[in-house]
Amino acid sequence: MITKIAWRNIWRNPTRSLVIMISVAIGLLAGAFIAAIYWGMGQERFRIAIENEIAHIQIHQPDFTKDFTQIPSMPQAMEMLTTIKQLDGVKAATMRTIAMGMLANATGSAGMQINGIVSEDEAAVSQLKSKVIDGEYFVSKKANGLLLGAKLAKKLKLKLRSKVVLTFQDKEDNLVSAAFWVEGIYQSYNTALDERNVYIHISDLETLLGLSDETHELAVLLQNDELTIPVKNTISQLYPNLKVQDWQEVSPDTALVLSTMGQASMVFVIIILLALAFGIINTMLMAILERTRELGVLMALGMNRMKLFSMILTETVILVLFGSPFGLLIAYGIIKYLSVNGIDLTAVAGNTMGDFGFGNVIYPDLPIDQYFQILILVVITAIISAIFPAIRALRLKPVEAIHR
Amino acid sequence: MDTIIDAHNISKVYNPDTIPVYAVNNVHLHVHAGEFTALVGPSGSGKTTLLNLLGGLDRPTSGNVVINGVDITQLSPSQLIDFRLHNIGFVFQSFNLIPVLTARENVEFIMLLQNVSKKERDQRVTALLAEVGLADKMNVRPAQLSGGQQQRVAVARALASKPKFILADEPTANLDSVAATKLLDIMAKLNQEENMTFIFSTHDQRVIDRARRVITLVDGAITSDTGQTPTD
Repeated sequence: MITKIAWRNIWRNPTRSLVIMISVAIGLLAGAFIAAIYWGMGQERFRIAIENEIAHIQIHQPDFTKDFTQIPSMPQAMEMLTTIKQLDGVKAATMRTIAMGMLANATGSAGMQINGIVSEDEAAVSQLKSKVIDGEYFVSKKANGLLLGAKLAKKLKLKLRSKVVLTFQDKEDNLVSAAFWVEGIYQSYNTALDERNVYIHISDLETLLGLSDETHELAVLLQNDELTIPVKNTISQLYPNLKVQDWQEVSPDTALVLSTMGQASMVFVIIILLALAFGIINTMLMAILERTRELGVLMALGMNRMKLFSMILTETVILVLFGSPFGLLIAYGIIKYLSVNGIDLTAVAGNTMGDFGFGNVIYPDLPIDQYFQILILVVITAIISAIFPAIRALRLKPVEAIHR
Repeated sequence: MDTIIDAHNISKVYNPDTIPVYAVNNVHLHVHAGEFTALVGPSGSGKTTLLNLLGGLDRPTSGNVVINGVDITQLSPSQLIDFRLHNIGFVFQSFNLIPVLTARENVEFIMLLQNVSKKERDQRVTALLAEVGLADKMNVRPAQLSGGQQQRVAVARALASKPKFILADEPTANLDSVAATKLLDIMAKLNQEENMTFIFSTHDQRVIDRARRVITLVDGAITSDTGQTPTD
């Protein structure tokens, strides 16, 4: 009967109830949409980081980061790579030989990370091949070909087939220089990385560094993200003397972006819910003010405080729960559409998104459990919002309320 | 005869610290089972306040009210709500039915609060609405009923909880003479046939004429009490 009274009370003032239901729907739509944008951006940053930059797991010598002018190498690299490629859950793996040096041409010079790569393996792990926007991706197999980022090319006025000189220290600490020709220009989602990374054939770099069957880095891409820890543990057991790191350890900033995105979206959702809460409180206070006498009669007849409280609570929760599905369904439709078609920010942001490691097109997305999480938050908001009006109702004295 | 209401020197004083107003002034009153009593007096004489005190809707400034052996002035607010639910029926001047409930649901509601079984509720609602002549209006909401019909639903609602007595505050004040007579007939019948105790506050001469006991209040004090049932 309490639910029946609550339900019928809602429809005593249909306009007011519809307004609050629409507010709930719009609030939820806005909350879910903002959460989806943040979630989508976070996921995009994560995918870019995994599939284009760092892969799931990287393997180095323990003091890899100690001295970048003389990076310690791992021996028996080919055997290691073959073993790791055969592990369960591994999608692709590649090795990289790295030298920190300088790239120079007639226009200027820039400090650079020179990556010696196995072109086919690298294409499978970091999709570098698909990022080439001009020229070719190590097709010729000719020696001393070089792939560099578009922003760097622009800065140093480099074109295809331009000559550049790379200078760095070899294994014996001798300074070596060699001429390279621009074979391709690439553009990834991270312009900051593009500006300080060039790629050459691993054989060219090994020769110049004086390395033989040694490598500095092994990057492993897995079949899915959940395999990261088990595969990392397997590799650690196989190579206990090496430093095996998962993506969170290699790139703590990516992990931080993911958690920050979640927190930022939650802040927006909470702001929206707060606005919603005040709307609900206002509506329920009005409803109680209008029904003061009726509530007094209920108390006079013998309706106890608990039942009165639950009647007001039920009324509020029904009001909110009726608006919620509409808001969430509309949000789901819009988010699903945009998760495929994306929001192109090129017109408003140019290429600046790339400076922060994001693509120019945002793909908002939200897992189903997040919709339920928002719904639960809305119900909690409704319950909390109902408490104040309900307390106001409980404070009524029947003898005064009846005669109003 | 059983005493069901025993009010000992009750007073209700407003503004006790500034300019005290005695709405009820040192009233001493016994009501016995089966009485059909009218509280009369001019406006502002304290009829409604006295009724509220007897019904546990308000607390006296001094004195106490004992109903069926229970001193209701000593009960906590929650205990008082529960006490009213099981012992006292109310009929208000402006009917005060729950507008979103039908006549049937208004009567049934009070039994739901008492956790009465569905079967008993159904039987009792049907019997009570038939008794007040509204068997054909069971599924009609108060807005579709006339004032007289609404007040008869209110009487059925008051009876639904099987109270010890019914307090009716100016029950005929908003009714035309035909509706008022019909309502009084029903209440008199309930009083005579089921020995239900009624206490009215009223200005209405028709009610006063039907009452077997008439208590007159002036400035919160009882000035006359005619037809009082002799105490055992």
